[in-house]
Amino acid sequence: MAFNVHYFDGKSSKMRTASLSTNSLSWKISFENKQNVTETISWNIAKIKKTDVHTDGIVTFTYGDRFPFQRIESTDASFINYIKNSQHKNLTNKVDILLQTSKKSTLFYLLVTIVGIAIGVYFYVIPAVASNFAKNLSKENVISFGNYVFNILSSDLEIDDQKSQKLQSFVDEIEIDATFPIEVYVVKSEDFNAFAISGGKIVVFSSLLDKIQNESQLLALLGHEISHIENRHVLKNVSRNLSGAIFMSILFGDINGIATIFAENAHLFSQLSYTRKLETEADLFGLEIMKKNQVDLSGMPALFEILKDETKINVPTYLSNHPMLKDRIEYTQKIAKEQSIIPENKILKKRWVAIKATFNNMNKDE
Amino acid sequence: MEIISDSNLEKKRFRYFGKGTEFAIIYFKNIILTLLTLGIYYPWAKVELLKYHYQSTELDKTRFSFHATGNEVFRGFIKVYAIVILLYAFLIYATQTQDPTMLLVATSLFYLFFILLIPFAIHGAVRYRASRSSWKGIHFKYLGNRKDFFILCLKGFFLSIITLGIYSAWFQVDIRKYVLSHLRFGDVSFKFKGNGGDLFWITLKFILLFYITLGIYGFWYYKNIMRFYIDNIEITQNGKPIKFKFTMNTGDVFELLVINFLLIAFTLGLATPWVSVRTFQFMFRFIEIEEGLDTEIIQQTTHDDYDDASGDDFMDFLDFDLL
Repeated sequence: MAFNVHYFDGKSSKMRTASLSTNSLSWKISFENKQNVTETISWNIAKIKKTDVHTDGIVTFTYGDRFPFQRIESTDASFINYIKNSQHKNLTNKVDILLQTSKKSTLFYLLVTIVGIAIGVYFYVIPAVASNFAKNLSKENVISFGNYVFNILSSDLEIDDQKSQKLQSFVDEIEIDATFPIEVYVVKSEDFNAFAISGGKIVVFSSLLDKIQNESQLLALLGHEISHIENRHVLKNVSRNLSGAIFMSILFGDINGIATIFAENAHLFSQLSYTRKLETEADLFGLEIMKKNQVDLSGMPALFEILKDETKINVPTYLSNHPMLKDRIEYTQKIAKEQSIIPENKILKKRWVAIKATFNNMNKDE
Repeated sequence: MEIISDSNLEKKRFRYFGKGTEFAIIYFKNIILTLLTLGIYYPWAKVELLKYHYQSTELDKTRFSFHATGNEVFRGFIKVYAIVILLYAFLIYATQTQDPTMLLVATSLFYLFFILLIPFAIHGAVRYRASRSSWKGIHFKYLGNRKDFFILCLKGFFLSIITLGIYSAWFQVDIRKYVLSHLRFGDVSFKFKGNGGDLFWITLKFILLFYITLGIYGFWYYKNIMRFYIDNIEITQNGKPIKFKFTMNTGDVFELLVINFLLIAFTLGLATPWVSVRTFQFMFRFIEIEEGLDTEIIQQTTHDDYDDASGDDFMDFLDFDLL
């Protein structure tokens, strides 16, 4: 049986209409040459290279050990069919077979697999890997990471050394099994905020400190932040966020801007709920520190009340990634009520009174 | 005696035969393999997708062919990532020392190195792509000189910086002129006839009108820039010039971009393979080679068997595509 093909000799772009006949070892290609004489060329099947076309309705092959290569192209349905049924490894390729054997449902299964892998990686693999990384990073590395972050931030922070020293003397009296040395910094600011940096640094804004009324509220605040440090929350959050974002960009990055924006927003949302989870964990751990130091647990809900009142008027920075303050007041109050005898920590109280006195004096001077 | 070939000096159009469903199967299969191999499959995936596009494109009843292999692209991929990882390692090391001078030096070196690498990457990418592309059995070939091109780019970077970007229009045109004038297809050569002033004017109009028209001018800009790039291409065959023409008008641009946008937005990106097929179909429909090209008498010249894909991979890393 002869098939219709187009033949190119590799020396010029001249296309010759040729007929191709096959046997088990070779192909014979016949066409009329320049002198209008029929010329027949033989191709050894073992040396044929299939040019992967991956599209229906055409097959192309190249031939030759060295440049220039001969080439044929064919849209002859019977030839395409012959190639489809061929078993020779030079004449078939995996992608073409996949395309030829795929049905409409193939696309569906491929999509389901992609979505499945993506969900699995995003929800199970990445969080596990990220939190493992955060847990197992050495103490020294966590501290140097924290120092690095603090150095960048501190240029924008107006640190009040005197107030910081006073607050540090309070912190030094807190009983905790801390892995990290806790250092506190009081920063002049109108915002009602406080934050912890990996490796042991806590920044408290002066306006928030001014509103605090007693040692148990202060310990509630510090306990919460210490919990972030001890449980490596920032690191967990950062590594999870980063690896999630990288995965998203691998999955969508090559596609286009719009899909990436959708993906990143979805990622941000899930990140926000994770952050809330960490905040709750920090509240509970903070209460444990308070119990251990024998102060009134109701200092925690009282602290949240202060924040709630203040953030009503001010920009709610503290609110944004924290669980709703109302909820936090409720659950911390519940725990506080279980405390039958209200204890008093004399040392902390003494330190607190000293702090408050200095602060009031300093504020008057200003 | 003058040999008169039996063909075909008429106007020629490209046609693209790719189908969304076919391309989607390859595309999604490749995403899965790339994910499962943690990215290692990417070079093979890239080659397969490019092959599909090349081999779906027809001119004068013959398809284009792309001869790259995943192995070649993988070797380039490893080189590029080795360089990038080294650069990052250096940068991270410098940050850890917390010495501001060291940090400044490292950051400058980091960016400088990236910028200096770009000319080499363009050179390598064009040469690799050309060497691996053929039509009617004839191969493309890039004859540019790496050193000349590097000097041209260095001059361009420098002038663009000191003129606050104004020179970049002329710079881009210089790059195109250099690359195209050193590109061969058998015994056919290419030229870019645009000038920097025209490109500058197109860009300036875009900057001035984009916000005033709430972005709608973008469609005109797209048409203008594509016309500038394609209409200024000229082929020379046996001393005879033949022009390219891009016939898309603003309405077509609107149809192309708006529907692409809607397809992507409403499928959260899943329509991507259909969108790329649609875009190729659309673009090729509007590209013409004007009368005069004899597609039967192009002679093969020596082959430039250039198998280093690292330039191509580096361009990919920077998210530039030559296509």
